[in-house]
Amino acid sequence: MHLMASKPQALTSIGPMRAFTSNSKKISTELIEINELLREFNQYYSAYYKQLAETWSIAQKKVNQKSQKVPHDVEQIESVKRVWLDIFDNDFTELFDSGRFGENYGKLVTKELELTKHWNNITNVILQSVNLPSKEEIDEVYKEIHSLKKRVTKLELELKKKGKVKNAN
Amino acid sequence: MQTESNIDPKIIEQILKFSKNVIEAPKLVSAPDEISLEVTPYDVVQEIDKTRLLHYSPLTDKQHKTPLLISYALINRFHILDIHPEKSWVRNLLEQGFDVYMLDWGTPTSMDKYLDFDDYVNGYLDNYVEHIKNESATEKISLQGYCTGATIATAYTTLHPESVKNYIATAPVIDGWRDTTVISNLAKHMDVDKMVDTIGNMPPEFMYYCFSVLKPFEQGIEKYVNFFKNIENKKFVDSFLRVEKWLGDTPPIPGELFKQWIKDIYQENLLIQNKMYVGGQRIDLKKIDMPVFTQVAVGDHLVSPECSMPLHYAIGSEDKTLRMYPTGHVGMIASSLSQKKVLPELGKWLLERS
Repeated sequence: MHLMASKPQALTSIGPMRAFTSNSKKISTELIEINELLREFNQYYSAYYKQLAETWSIAQKKVNQKSQKVPHDVEQIESVKRVWLDIFDNDFTELFDSGRFGENYGKLVTKELELTKHWNNITNVILQSVNLPSKEEIDEVYKEIHSLKKRVTKLELELKKKGKVKNAN
Repeated sequence: MQTESNIDPKIIEQILKFSKNVIEAPKLVSAPDEISLEVTPYDVVQEIDKTRLLHYSPLTDKQHKTPLLISYALINRFHILDIHPEKSWVRNLLEQGFDVYMLDWGTPTSMDKYLDFDDYVNGYLDNYVEHIKNESATEKISLQGYCTGATIATAYTTLHPESVKNYIATAPVIDGWRDTTVISNLAKHMDVDKMVDTIGNMPPEFMYYCFSVLKPFEQGIEKYVNFFKNIENKKFVDSFLRVEKWLGDTPPIPGELFKQWIKDIYQENLLIQNKMYVGGQRIDLKKIDMPVFTQVAVGDHLVSPECSMPLHYAIGSEDKTLRMYPTGHVGMIASSLSQKKVLPELGKWLLERS
């Protein structure tokens, strides 16, 4: 429906906002894709918190087993705290070091990046509508500057070498 | 019915004292922007793009002939090597009569996303080494690399061995597959192409996340509990705040450099296999044939000893020393142990070769 709607929309649009209106279907497409992506993102996001919650619960059980008595003095509190810190740090480090955590976290970040990519695409439509360069166009300029800088440095070095040879002669 | 509590009154006393310390903390400690991390005076002798070459003022009448350039890591800033007069790596070396230079990598912006290993190794580092050689009228310098700065310095040393008289690798990131840290696990599962393509430079926020998973409870809770407990100890508070300020200030890492970093070191482990390429040239560790001193911290949870030590066995040098210290990644460079043990040993080794 949104694809059909864009044409009549464009017909009625005037002036500098025309580009935005005619490109609005891109925004709609991006938003639909974002919605689909959010489902996958949430799946990894839930798994991430599930891993944290499960590790917390297991670590707490271990602490409870190790220090069953309620501490009554400062030394006992310190000792319980030490046990708590050691167990929690060990268990969480084990989790963060595991393949299952690394894999899920990697996928979670990838989905977040894909969402960001869609957001960038939407921003590009808006930028183009107000005659501003898109992210890709700016990147192209950065790439060109980087390559030019490298060429200049190389040429400077060659000139320096030639100067040294000239001076030696 | 028993009404008498058997809880030690000292517990209540401690809780009250801790609460009082928390309330009074803002009056007793400086705000981060009031703390200056510049300890030992230096001159900025050269600047290229956003990077700077710092030259520290001498602290002795006479200095050893061969200057020392420190290639600091890409994470956080060089200040940790000069964080406090009593724990300063730089000051200690100056007091031992060494002529010390420091490479400050600066703060890359979006515009720098295409900077890669080649720019850092054959561009910035090579330019600064040439500058030092000219300024000090020497043909070779001593080079020290710390953490990720040591990976860059290692690549440089293999490609430009004619400029390096002595090489010191402090907690170098070398063998990614042997690294047992959480960072390495996260790096192995990262879609780094997508990351750099989408966000450009590696943002500091992501670095902070990676740091937060390292000993999260000791570092995230106990450290601050200790801070409030010791709020009246000026020396402790000063030292704590300096390190905290340093920890909270990490620059972004240029996208292309980060991409190559993750792929070549952690995912494909090319450096230790002599298969990594920088600027079209292969990094062959066997080409490192000058004296090499490798420093490793046994309790390093950022770069595990297993990741650093392979450098010692992979290089071509016959004059090589491997030292292991019972401390952590930062403890090796900024602690009383570094002042009493690590630096005197390094100074002795370097003096014999400078």
